[in-house]
Amino acid sequence: MADKEIKTTSAGGSYEAEELPKAQSKVKEFVKKFLRRKTAVIALVFVVLMILVAIFGPYIAPYDPAAPDYTAMLQGPSAAHWWGTDEFGRDVFSRLLVGTRLSLSVALASVIIGTVIGTVLGLLAGYYGGIIESIVMRGSDILFSFPDILLAIAVVAIIGPGVVNIVIAVAVFTVPSVARLARSATLTVKESLYIEVARSLGCKDWRILWVHIFPGTLQSLIVNFTMRIGTAILAAASLSFLGFGANVTEPEWGAMLSQSRNYMTTAPHLVLFPGLLIFLTVLAFNLLGDGLRDTLDPKMK
Amino acid sequence: MKIKKILALVLAGAMTLSMAGLTASAEGATAPDNDLVIAIEGSVSSMDPQNISDTNAISATRGVYEELLHFDENQELEGVLAESWEVSEDSLTYTFHLREGVKFHDGTDFNSAAVVANFERVFDADNGLKSRRTYFKTVDGEETPRIASIETPDDYTVVFTLSEPYGVFLNKLTQMCFISPAAIEEYGNDVMYHPCGTGPYTYQEWVEGDHVTMVRNDDYWGEKPGVDSVTIKEVPEAGTRTAMLQTGEADLIYPTSSDQLSVVESTEDAQINTSVSNIMRYVTLNVNREALSDVRVRQAMNYAIDKDAYVALMYGGYGEAATSTVPSVIQYYEEQTPYTFDLEKAKSLMEEAGYADGFDITIWGDNTTQEIKGMTFIQQQLSQIGINVEVVPMEPATVSDKIYVPLEDAEIDMWYVNWSASDFSADSSMRALLYSEMCPPTSANTVYYNNPDFDAAMDAGLAAATEEEKAEYYQTAQELAWNDATWLFLGTDQIVYSTKTYLSGAYVAPDGTIRYQNAVLAQ
Repeated sequence: MADKEIKTTSAGGSYEAEELPKAQSKVKEFVKKFLRRKTAVIALVFVVLMILVAIFGPYIAPYDPAAPDYTAMLQGPSAAHWWGTDEFGRDVFSRLLVGTRLSLSVALASVIIGTVIGTVLGLLAGYYGGIIESIVMRGSDILFSFPDILLAIAVVAIIGPGVVNIVIAVAVFTVPSVARLARSATLTVKESLYIEVARSLGCKDWRILWVHIFPGTLQSLIVNFTMRIGTAILAAASLSFLGFGANVTEPEWGAMLSQSRNYMTTAPHLVLFPGLLIFLTVLAFNLLGDGLRDTLDPKMK
Repeated sequence: MKIKKILALVLAGAMTLSMAGLTASAEGATAPDNDLVIAIEGSVSSMDPQNISDTNAISATRGVYEELLHFDENQELEGVLAESWEVSEDSLTYTFHLREGVKFHDGTDFNSAAVVANFERVFDADNGLKSRRTYFKTVDGEETPRIASIETPDDYTVVFTLSEPYGVFLNKLTQMCFISPAAIEEYGNDVMYHPCGTGPYTYQEWVEGDHVTMVRNDDYWGEKPGVDSVTIKEVPEAGTRTAMLQTGEADLIYPTSSDQLSVVESTEDAQINTSVSNIMRYVTLNVNREALSDVRVRQAMNYAIDKDAYVALMYGGYGEAATSTVPSVIQYYEEQTPYTFDLEKAKSLMEEAGYADGFDITIWGDNTTQEIKGMTFIQQQLSQIGINVEVVPMEPATVSDKIYVPLEDAEIDMWYVNWSASDFSADSSMRALLYSEMCPPTSANTVYYNNPDFDAAMDAGLAAATEEEKAEYYQTAQELAWNDATWLFLGTDQIVYSTKTYLSGAYVAPDGTIRYQNAVLAQ
């Protein structure tokens, strides 16, 4: 018996070793397929650019984003100020560059937190079923009954405004959709032959769950993750616009848009550039998500 | 092909519409209807004229209600429900001769008995009315009435006898409106939902947080209003108010913020109006906070603020930097030594006080775009001397809730706020804000200022008989508060409001109240 067990393990090991080259070719195939989707590639380039801006923004900004210049208020785009100046004479381009970090990190942090919690709950619900499934899925249904942004406002109303609380609020409405997705993926994978094999070999539940089932759900989760970032940027910007989010003095995109709305007729560049940036970034993340889904979806092969 | 056709149709439609618009404006100054619509920034807190303290509520109630006397367009006292009045030599007896033949909207006669009934309502502590504290003097928690007796020799004469000289009595009476005694009897404090006065308009509806509507009172004793109805709409967004004026949805918008001026200027049938104001813009500094307890720190903060930039930034130049604790149109105003913008001086004062590296602090204020802009300006300015200000905009109601709390619960550091004394008296301009007994929750001394010399000057000013003495005491009070740097003294903005050119007879008074009693929309 002991002999056989060792054999199985080694056999499993060699099976995984054989798998490696196959996986590589999958990656190649994926890249090839992905590159064929031009919009997705452009979206990816834009997303990478925004991430670079988020990292290096404060170092490349031509002006101090907080420095007022009361002699140059509300100026339109010019050579000195590419995207004009705001009501305090601050450089809009610099503020948006620096604000990218805040806006993107709020979106990323909230989606990561929401996805992690949602995935765990979804996996548990899908794998164990029964009472856990009932609690998680009915809980999700309750959260689903609220429109996303309304739920986030409710959360912020309870725990108070601020950047950290916005992350929590957006994470809260990310959880149910991820949980539902993870559960359905788990249900599919659970019925696979290799899971039955793992179970018959006496693997512990957590091992089956994390080593065998979880990787099987990753594809759909990655796609959902990317799509969700767009929603999160929009939600965070909306909350800041409503005054629940970033402090009004910080160059957060939504907060900037909110402070600019009075100048829509007199200095439209103040609304145009933050709005455009939010629009393009959300679009890029959504197109990237579309591209990933189309490439990863086995049905679309 | 289809798309082209649709496009052509849309274009044709748009052209017809714009031509229609052109003809309307070419005809010039006639109004599309005879209903006056006024868009304001804040909200109307109550329609009970004896239980309000904010400018918007004063504006709204003055359509339905009237006072014995008021300040006219030239800031001079003018009789309204009183035809004339006399003051005795010792300043203790005030005799009013009432206008005859005036009726409340419910048909009740306005006479000396009605005057007495209204004062009795205000005096009754059980009613908890805001105007009550005007008529009582509080010393060490004990109150004595300022009015010893009210006598009514006949139906149209009222004689007030004061317990001691009260220099601002006439000024205070300009804020005392009269409600139908029958309505008081019937509704008690719910009369705020059933306003019934003597004014040129009768109450129609008040939707809290949205609008107040009044219609012409055809039985008005004076000159009948020229418009069929008046609606005061609450529109917090400056851009929205401007758009309402442009489209003709509103006939008067107040305030018009500096960033909207060019939009109004470019609107053919709209105009910008300005008038001097008694609105003091300032930031209170809670002296119970460790850093703010040092007068040098407070002075340094005043030196660190570029008041001229403030006026330019916030009011597009329509205003002036603060030169005293009260605006220049207030009685007994005296110019003080200015805190001229001087960063070096500010920094050295901070160093002297032991705050060379600055400190962290919060500033509270309303969450309107204009107030947020002002607070952001303060934050920028104070950062120059190392003070790190966190801007915390809140719903106006939330700000009140957090400010009017007992001392032990007070969390306030700085409050970006403004004050206008509708009666133009020096007493009203300072007592509620700086007198030691007026700390929250009683009133708005959010500085928690407690200077016995200041209190003494204020009390002496109120009791003084001659103009010279009053001037002396109130000037001392101004100087004490100014030198103690109780506030960040910012400025006084001009009243800037916009109207349609076909509107006349309506204006915004220096205290920010809107006068629309004689409004006419050209037809």
